[in-house]
Amino acid sequence: MNGDDGLETRVEALLAAPAHDAAALHVALAALYARYRDLAAQIERVTRIADRYQGAERERGRSYAVRYEKQLRQIEKIMRISDRYQSMLRDLNDRLHWLSLRDVVTGLPNRRHMLGRLDDAVADAKEGGAPLALAIADVDHFKRINDGFGHDTGDKALAALGHALCGLLPDGDAARWGGEEFLLLFPAHDLAAARRRLDALRAALPGAMAPLWPDGVPTLTLSCGLTAWRGDDDALSALLSRADEALYVAKRGGRDRLVVAD
Amino acid sequence: MLTLAIPATASTPAIAADWAAGLLTMSGDSYPENSFELFQPVIDWVDAYLGDSDRPLTLSLSLLYLNTSSIRAMMDILDLLQGAHDAGRRVRVEWLYDPDNERVAELAAEFREDYSFPFDILARA
Repeated sequence: MNGDDGLETRVEALLAAPAHDAAALHVALAALYARYRDLAAQIERVTRIADRYQGAERERGRSYAVRYEKQLRQIEKIMRISDRYQSMLRDLNDRLHWLSLRDVVTGLPNRRHMLGRLDDAVADAKEGGAPLALAIADVDHFKRINDGFGHDTGDKALAALGHALCGLLPDGDAARWGGEEFLLLFPAHDLAAARRRLDALRAALPGAMAPLWPDGVPTLTLSCGLTAWRGDDDALSALLSRADEALYVAKRGGRDRLVVAD
Repeated sequence: MLTLAIPATASTPAIAADWAAGLLTMSGDSYPENSFELFQPVIDWVDAYLGDSDRPLTLSLSLLYLNTSSIRAMMDILDLLQGAHDAGRRVRVEWLYDPDNERVAELAAEFREDYSFPFDILARA
């Protein structure tokens, strides 16, 4: 089908001629009609195909939208679950951190925790000029409890002591230093005040331990070495050494006593 | 008949698939750097098992922590089970957890809510 064969021009010329050649005009118009009919059929076909494509596109679009929605929901859910896992991990980490600083037998802060606390306490004393004292306390003849009643009973005795120290000193000021040794911190106490406090503590100990004290075990006593911070040049290691030496003197002097490092 | 036995590492769970028993187990933590590498064989195994016969499949999970890409992989596996369930296949999941860590049960319930096949969350005795 070719629109450039002059058919339209011929029809126009025939129509414009003063005397119509009716037969020639009829033939030309019939040819023109046939051409337009073919063109219409072709346009209809193209339109039909285009509609089909559009329909498919619409379908595809709908299916993409459904998949997109589904994936979006899945991503939101994955994020929600993931966030909950993160918060579970965070809580477990907090718990681990707490456990890493606690002594499992007595429930008191452990040596690692107390070392951090001592650093802070010395720094605070340097900055604020407030006094500071500390003591190392050792359970007398603890081996006799372990050997005579078993390690389970020994642990119970230590737990009772831990419980008592917890009640008699502010939270975090008593720690299990190792074995049957405890470190007692007296922030804002000079030597005299700490001594009074420690004497009172030793006197109150049997009563405070009683609720958890294991049956049939003789009550325990403590030997203590006490010292106070001596100012800016006094290092933490020196404080601890003096307390340790005083404790040694208390032990050698017959136990169940407090020795102050002057 | 394919058997899958992937030992646990510090960051990946132990995975064992028993074709004869129709049992796939995973236990431990899952935070691999490349979860596709870890889970693709598992997904392939489930696909092959479900496509091969009409025997039931049990997925037994004792998982504690899953990173984001492991969660995604787990959903892909559960989607496969859902497809099989929709086609009339007997599939089930049992998620075992330590009663000391209830949050694992809550997380397992998050997974469960999108699926209609039997999905039990059981406290380990």
